[in-house]
Amino acid sequence: MIDRLRARIGVDGEPVTAAVEAGHVARFAAAIGDPNPCWTKEAPPTFLVALAPVAPHLAEAEEYGKGWLNGGNRFEYFAPVFIGDRITATGHVADVYEKSGSSGNLLFIIFETRYVNQDAVVVARLRGTMIRR
Amino acid sequence: MKVEVGQEIPELVKHPSTRQLVQYAGAQGDFYEIHYDQTYAQSLGLPGVILHGLLKAAFLGQLVTDWLGDRGTLKTFEVSYRGVDVPGHPYRCRGRVKRVDETEVELEVWGENDEGQRTTVGMATVEID
Repeated sequence: MIDRLRARIGVDGEPVTAAVEAGHVARFAAAIGDPNPCWTKEAPPTFLVALAPVAPHLAEAEEYGKGWLNGGNRFEYFAPVFIGDRITATGHVADVYEKSGSSGNLLFIIFETRYVNQDAVVVARLRGTMIRR
Repeated sequence: MKVEVGQEIPELVKHPSTRQLVQYAGAQGDFYEIHYDQTYAQSLGLPGVILHGLLKAAFLGQLVTDWLGDRGTLKTFEVSYRGVDVPGHPYRCRGRVKRVDETEVELEVWGENDEGQRTTVGMATVEID
């Protein structure tokens, strides 16, 4: 199973394109409890995770352990994301490895996603660590 | 505003509730049951439903953007989740200036539970205009 996951490293998944809608950004800002008036024009820093699935659905990874844990996220920003933008998210598995922890073995899956706007500008990149245990 | 190494930025205390977890699940589109189904969460050995890591990241993002205001731009933001947090307890977001390199400022940020444990740690770099 780990070999099957490793075979996907570096292979881009199907791109997902979504509009940055005012109502969605407002619901997101309300959900995180951030009343900053900037979020009526621009998206807050972590909003991109709400536009497209952060991690491709990896059914085979779910054969490992019982549940998912989020290990961490790293965002790099190159240009602002405005309400009205159309963002295309393209992601791939960047790495897969196993580690033995104090409570048993863990499977680490590293994902990378790049976000490109309607003007073909890369606005951000996200690197995430998902853990199966 | 003068930015100096070692300076602590104004803290942000959040009061996450189960309701907020459901609200966040809907807004992000993350419907993993550990964030709203107590029985399911406990079956995985968790204390109960837990905060989304990315919700804690959003809290720390707010900490940084509140401090930054319109004085500059966020360039990188990273968080590592070191422990789980349950709703019904205050979550204290804090940060400190770690490095100042002309217009680039690096902040160390973290989220503490009500026992003072840093369950989320991270870094942010900003470019001051």
